[in-house]
Amino acid sequence: MTKNFLEINNVTFAASAQSKVNNVSLTIENQGDIVCLLGPSGIGKTTILRTIAGLEKIQSGKIILKNKILSSDKTHIEPENRNISMGFQDNSLFPHYTVLENIKFGADRNKKKKKGLNLNEINKLLHIEHIVDKYPHQISSGEAQRASLARSLLSNPDLLLLDEPLSNVDQNFKEEIQVKLKQILTEHKITTIIVTHDSYEAFYLGTKCGIILDGQLKQYDDPYNVYHFPNSIEVVNFLNRGILIPAKVTGENSLENDDLGTITGDFIKHYPKGSEVQLLLQPEDLEHDDQSNLKLEVVDRKFRGTNFIYTLKTTSNKLIPVFVHSHHIHQHEVDEKFGIKRPINIDHIVCF
Amino acid sequence: MGNKINIWYFSSFVISIIVAVPIITVFSSFFETTGGYVTVLKNTFLLDYIYNSLILLTGVLTLTFIIGVGCAYLVSFYKFPGVNFFKWALILSFAVPAYIYAYSLTAFFENYGTAFSILKNLLGEGNYNAHIPKFDGMLGAIISISFSLFGYVYVLTRASFHYQSQNLIELGKNLGFSKQKSFFKIILPSARPAIVAGLSLVAMETLSDFGSVSFFGVSTLTTGIYNAWISFDDLTLANRLSSYLLIFILGLFVIENLSRKKAQYHTSSKGGFKSKSVVHLYNYKSILAFLFCTLVFFLSFLFPVFQMLYWTIIFPKHFLDLNLIELFSNTMLLVFLSCCLLILLAFISNYGNRVSKSKFLEALNTFSISGYAIPGIILAVAFITFISWLDLNMINYLGTETIKPIFIGSIFGLILVYFIRFYSLANNGIKSGYLKINYSIDESAYLLGYSKLKTFKNIHVPYLKNSVLLIGILLTIEIIKELPITLIMRPFNFETFATKAYIYASQDLLEAAAAPSLLLILIASCFILITSRYILKD
Repeated sequence: MTKNFLEINNVTFAASAQSKVNNVSLTIENQGDIVCLLGPSGIGKTTILRTIAGLEKIQSGKIILKNKILSSDKTHIEPENRNISMGFQDNSLFPHYTVLENIKFGADRNKKKKKGLNLNEINKLLHIEHIVDKYPHQISSGEAQRASLARSLLSNPDLLLLDEPLSNVDQNFKEEIQVKLKQILTEHKITTIIVTHDSYEAFYLGTKCGIILDGQLKQYDDPYNVYHFPNSIEVVNFLNRGILIPAKVTGENSLENDDLGTITGDFIKHYPKGSEVQLLLQPEDLEHDDQSNLKLEVVDRKFRGTNFIYTLKTTSNKLIPVFVHSHHIHQHEVDEKFGIKRPINIDHIVCF
Repeated sequence: MGNKINIWYFSSFVISIIVAVPIITVFSSFFETTGGYVTVLKNTFLLDYIYNSLILLTGVLTLTFIIGVGCAYLVSFYKFPGVNFFKWALILSFAVPAYIYAYSLTAFFENYGTAFSILKNLLGEGNYNAHIPKFDGMLGAIISISFSLFGYVYVLTRASFHYQSQNLIELGKNLGFSKQKSFFKIILPSARPAIVAGLSLVAMETLSDFGSVSFFGVSTLTTGIYNAWISFDDLTLANRLSSYLLIFILGLFVIENLSRKKAQYHTSSKGGFKSKSVVHLYNYKSILAFLFCTLVFFLSFLFPVFQMLYWTIIFPKHFLDLNLIELFSNTMLLVFLSCCLLILLAFISNYGNRVSKSKFLEALNTFSISGYAIPGIILAVAFITFISWLDLNMINYLGTETIKPIFIGSIFGLILVYFIRFYSLANNGIKSGYLKINYSIDESAYLLGYSKLKTFKNIHVPYLKNSVLLIGILLTIEIIKELPITLIMRPFNFETFATKAYIYASQDLLEAAAAPSLLLILIASCFILITSRYILKD
């Protein structure tokens, strides 16, 4: 007996020799939790979902949902008997039925339970009321994805699997749908695993995030921890939200970099004095200060609406990203000098 | 879900094996000794058979290419008087079997034939026979087969042209191509797979044709096969000749595939497609296009119909002597039973392949449907050989009663051979329907709690109902026209329109053959008209 809602114990997920994720172990503790799996294309994220759904078999390990073994080397419960619903990336609406009929296929499964969402409510939430009488070939791919999502949600599954559910949804709709999706999943306690390549989407939706790299689940943690406390250089490189610069540990709370000088903060992991390390520097770690005598050259400036990301070049040719609020006074063009506030203090120091 | 041997897998396997039996029988002839006829054949007619087959094939392929592609191009890219009529009228040629075309051709041009009568009525008595051209022998066979088979090239090429994007044509204009250059450099090459598919069907049908070549006395490999079996009782040699024919056809496919290398021809279905705008033809160009299509329609359909109608009217006794109800019910009984069996088993086999995802089953299925290239005569003979062998072994080892009457000279046996002959048509039809259903559709259904059977019933069958209807009608047309298998396998005194027409024609009673031929064409035409919308679309 396990008190976890879902347990995956030492499972190797393999669709082919190239697409293989080895010895994955993860748990979803509570009903209604949302797990987001992040990783580069072709790494095997979809295979993980397909295997949990029962569309692929496993050679070793166990998948247990609500104390029931779904897959092991000896057991394989057929997908239709798992009460797991999956939204495919290519929507997979039945082409010869209207959108409404398609969505009702989901409701059919839920007939006996008579609980969860109702059809009109979900159509309204996902903005698909105007397309319910159309056939799949008459609607856009974004609308098809939302219709597919509606069908999956209406089936009121024990576990919902979503493969890049919003990849085709227009940007202006995307944030609104993300908010509503999270609201639906949380209110109705639908336990969900979402595969996405969009880290912002994963950080927003996920109770937990898993990072899959090089055929392994590299990190499985809260979104905040994944971002701020990545556990390996591979995760840092994959998230691409900071750079690694060489530094030397000079004390309990300090280290020294040739370009930036002394940096202080709390170490996440202890390193002996004198250790040569790679320090993770994220865009929000450094502050802008034109009065500072530490000046670096601007090589690029990206306007992101709410903020600017400056890319600065150090004397040793390292490129450092710096976050600056959009309303902050700044008139630094490319090739100009940009001041960095000293002393540099980072809330938490992550080194490798 | 990986390979799994279940009821679906097993059913699909058994069906493919049944269909593959004649092919295996044909190729097994290499391991058996033939009679003395092989030496006679090598020293006498073999080269003639091969030469005649090649001439016939070249002639038919050239003519069907010109007529089929020409008509498809005109009705797809241009607007001229009658274009919408020609789009579907040209496929009516499917209703006329080559052997009936051959009867019409002979009846019209022979000495004192219909052409003679027309000239006599118009111009009075005269020695017209010397001036009327004679279309018999090889030329007659090429014309008859070409006009009855060009429909394959027309339909497939037209579908390919229909789905060609305007972008492709505009690209040619952008590059400064003339209309001719656009046609030869862009339009024609991009329709190449469709044209080749059409020509392949024509090639297979031509090489396995028996009715018209035997009527015109042209000795081809098929005739050689028939002689080896009937005249020299050398079944092994007959099978060996068939396998040469099969290897030759497969060789053509391989050469074509290799020559294509890795070129891709399909148009993406998502985005980038722009409907074509047709060009209005005016003046002499419009008249030329109209005349070309009219001529093809007249020669391929109206000419044999009028000839048969003419004879039916002037010799009403033959028509009145026909037991129409019996002929019609016999033909339709065969159609109904064969269609049910073919569609049902093709469905089961395809679904079995789909759910088991077995590469072995897929390969076996591909191998078994290549039997389409085996002449109907050989299929029937191979089937009889197999049943005789089985019968002998069962009597010898199991002491059972003879099973021959169940399979030979019975409706059941006839339907079974039809099944083997037309399985590829049914199978490919269902398969192409299935190819349009993404696997994730099935998986979605499973994940919504649908079992495999429920998915089949609620998702696949409704989705494929149009494909099934189309296949059913295509099978009906083929079965109505089928001749050699029916002749060999039918029960005693069991007649269809096709056998009735053939028997009269083989007795040189062409005027008596007219009525059953005409009815055969009219019934087949009705089915073609019902399905023309689908044939042209798919």
